[in-house]
Amino acid sequence: MSIKIALAGNPNSGKTTLFNALTGSNQFVGNWPGVTVEKKEGKIKGHSSKNDEVVLVDLPGIYSLSPYTLEEVVSRNFLLDERPDAIINIIDGSNLERNLYLTTQLVELGIPVVVAVNMMDIVRKSGDKLDTNKLSKELGCEVTEISALKGEGIDKLIEEAIRAAKSGKRMVAQHSFDGSVEHALAHIEEAVLHDMPEYKQRFLAIKLFERDDKVIERLNLDSHILSHIEEDINNCENELDDDSESIITSERYTYIASIIGNCYTKRNKGKLTVTDKIDKVVTNRWLALPIFAIVMVIVYYISVTTVGTWATDWANDGLFGDGWHLFGIGSSDYDDAVDKYAEDEIFLPEIESTVRGANEAGITGADELLAAIKDKDFGAFEEAYGSYGEELAVKENGFFDLTSMLPLDEDGEFTDMPDPADYGVWVPGIPVLVENGLTAINCADWLQGLILEGIVGGVGAVLGFVPQMLVLFIFLAFLEACGYMARIAFIMDRIFRKFGLSGKSFIPMLIGSGCGVPGVMASRTIENERDRRMTIMTTTFIPCGAKLPIIALIAAALFDGTWWVAPSAYFLGIAAIIISGIMLKKTKIFAGDPAPFVMELPAYHLPTVGNILRSMWERGWSFIKRAGTIILLSSIIIWAGSCFGVVDGVFTFSADMQLEDSILGTIGNAICWIFSPLGFGNIKATIATIMGLVAKEEVVGVFGVLDFEGMTRLAGYAFLAFNLLCAPCFAAIGAIRREMNSPKWTAFAIAYQCVFAYAVSLMIYQIGSVFAGSLNIIGLIFAIAVAVFIIYMLFKPYKAADKLTIKTKVKA
Amino acid sequence: MIPLTFANVGKKISIKKIKGKDETKRFLGSLGFVEGGEITIVSDNGGNLIVNVKNTRVAISREMANKIIVA
Repeated sequence: MSIKIALAGNPNSGKTTLFNALTGSNQFVGNWPGVTVEKKEGKIKGHSSKNDEVVLVDLPGIYSLSPYTLEEVVSRNFLLDERPDAIINIIDGSNLERNLYLTTQLVELGIPVVVAVNMMDIVRKSGDKLDTNKLSKELGCEVTEISALKGEGIDKLIEEAIRAAKSGKRMVAQHSFDGSVEHALAHIEEAVLHDMPEYKQRFLAIKLFERDDKVIERLNLDSHILSHIEEDINNCENELDDDSESIITSERYTYIASIIGNCYTKRNKGKLTVTDKIDKVVTNRWLALPIFAIVMVIVYYISVTTVGTWATDWANDGLFGDGWHLFGIGSSDYDDAVDKYAEDEIFLPEIESTVRGANEAGITGADELLAAIKDKDFGAFEEAYGSYGEELAVKENGFFDLTSMLPLDEDGEFTDMPDPADYGVWVPGIPVLVENGLTAINCADWLQGLILEGIVGGVGAVLGFVPQMLVLFIFLAFLEACGYMARIAFIMDRIFRKFGLSGKSFIPMLIGSGCGVPGVMASRTIENERDRRMTIMTTTFIPCGAKLPIIALIAAALFDGTWWVAPSAYFLGIAAIIISGIMLKKTKIFAGDPAPFVMELPAYHLPTVGNILRSMWERGWSFIKRAGTIILLSSIIIWAGSCFGVVDGVFTFSADMQLEDSILGTIGNAICWIFSPLGFGNIKATIATIMGLVAKEEVVGVFGVLDFEGMTRLAGYAFLAFNLLCAPCFAAIGAIRREMNSPKWTAFAIAYQCVFAYAVSLMIYQIGSVFAGSLNIIGLIFAIAVAVFIIYMLFKPYKAADKLTIKTKVKA
Repeated sequence: MIPLTFANVGKKISIKKIKGKDETKRFLGSLGFVEGGEITIVSDNGGNLIVNVKNTRVAISREMANKIIVA
């Protein structure tokens, strides 16, 4: 026989930590209510193999069995429908009163309950005392002390839970309510529930007394029976001068207060805790927003520019490039050698004067070459020469041709360059290793092409950005685990409310800046269905980790790595959310105020290194897995599509196939007209955009840095804007589909995102063209029409439905 | 008898009445907001409040705070 034990408790009381400790699994533990949005199952370590299987189910946190948010519904339905053999009710010892509120309801279910008092170490440290024996007697169930974090007392807990599950002893709630309430409950049991097993009656009677819609629906009661019990409820309400729900709520708290008085001794009262002190600063009316802005700038600055760039450079140029110096050993010697080489061979007076002449003649790129010579920067010179060398040779009949002056071999590579492998400890990059290996075994040319360009090149381009994402994931995990995330929701609520979203929408967006899939899933903490749908639709506007490479690529290739490109992408995302929020609120389906904001703020604590790394690894690993599966597959398809094609009417394979002749090119050619009003109606950009649906990283895979030739900055930015805002990757679309739980809404969300992206991109390109001096009248007319429509939607008054709700509120 | 929005920061106050729809009222109840219970405002962010209730911190928006009548 297998035993199923449910883990229930308030949000943020340590359920997932206990779950990890008991099952040896590695779920991330955040410090904000609502980290666990789905139930998770695991087998208990050490008990499953020995005798019977013991399955532990980690439920999303709930405050009561009257569900308010979607995650609470998940928990309640599991407890009611699947009736686990036992419930472990984990409660936060430092916050007994509120946690016991759920306990008083769990013990009414008739399922054996074991109470685990968590965080007892914190309670003891504060000098408070809890008598668990007394508490156990009062509640009528086993009570054990544990510390889930340190793993203390969990063996005893699980033994108690298994014993309780095997005994099959029905739990009988020890508490009773006020006389008149009990009277009404007895009547309800008598009238409706008498033919049910006795252990189920109490819970259902109380729920019927509270007029719980879902329970009434579930029992499928006759209207005359309902009106009969309604009479009992009304009598009781009149007697106690309150509504039935409030009666039960305050009865429970009265009962809890009486227990706590008996078994809990509090030492210090009314002193400000550290958390309160921090909150006084970070949620201060004036300081809250500046502090938040500084935190965010630091997070993205470090992960996108400094550490992130360093990590990405290493991954792209080292690991997936030529190679790198282990721990930097020998790299300074190598740099010196390169400088000397450049000094002796390249930066010679006659070359400098030729370049100077070319610059005066206004030849494109000569200025960059000249700057590189002046800075004595060989890397910059090599890059500039790679891009513009031909330009110099072709124009002016080779008057400024550098080819004969520079030490070049027949492939146009610099000869006699110092070899980095001769200095220090050199580790060759993966492509080099693979190429050497393939050449050694005499691999066929086409297969070598497939492996090197298709697989290693495509997958490597994507994997190269993993280190940068990991840096971002560390920061996000820290924000989640320390407790600041919940404050951000609170701070942002004031602003988000102005354009129709709740502050809770901000958490999905912040998590979405790592990856859209968990971001969309985090929207479950939003109670109001309308707010939740709108959040799901707009969350993926924020650039996710996989879009970072696109931003980095455009910034580097077209904007010389200008600092403002990356922040502008985030700004674009936020603006898209705000504009969409306001516009959608004006439509009938989204009209109405967002639900009032209520959220528990957890105490701050310093997260453990293990927990942060676990979260980073979990999210990073899903990217790496994608690189090994879906991206691997699409890399091969892209490679094949670009190497097979029709040349002169014959279907052929060639590693040097012109893009226009290839299969990929033919497809791109057929549909690239769609994007020409946006300025990037060329084949490559079209294919890149389509491949972006598979995975956004693929956009980078399709493009190489040099392939942006012929694209203006404006078109490049329009391309960036479209790819950032349009439908997300298939994985995120899947998440949207799951969370919307309706094909119609999913289609609407995706269509909205694509149309919105197209509109924004059109405006950027067409209106921008006017300033660039190359305006297109028809395009401009369309762009202005779109702009006028958006502005009209932004300033149009809210729907009448909205005003009505305001009126009713005033009345109430 | 004043709405919670107008109460002073840092002072202990007691809840007299909670107005509003059943659903939100129920949720406030499960978080520890019950008539007769004592609460303290920890921080005021332009009408949005952080309230200490039964030893936990709960953030509530201005609309919600307006529905809680205290003295």
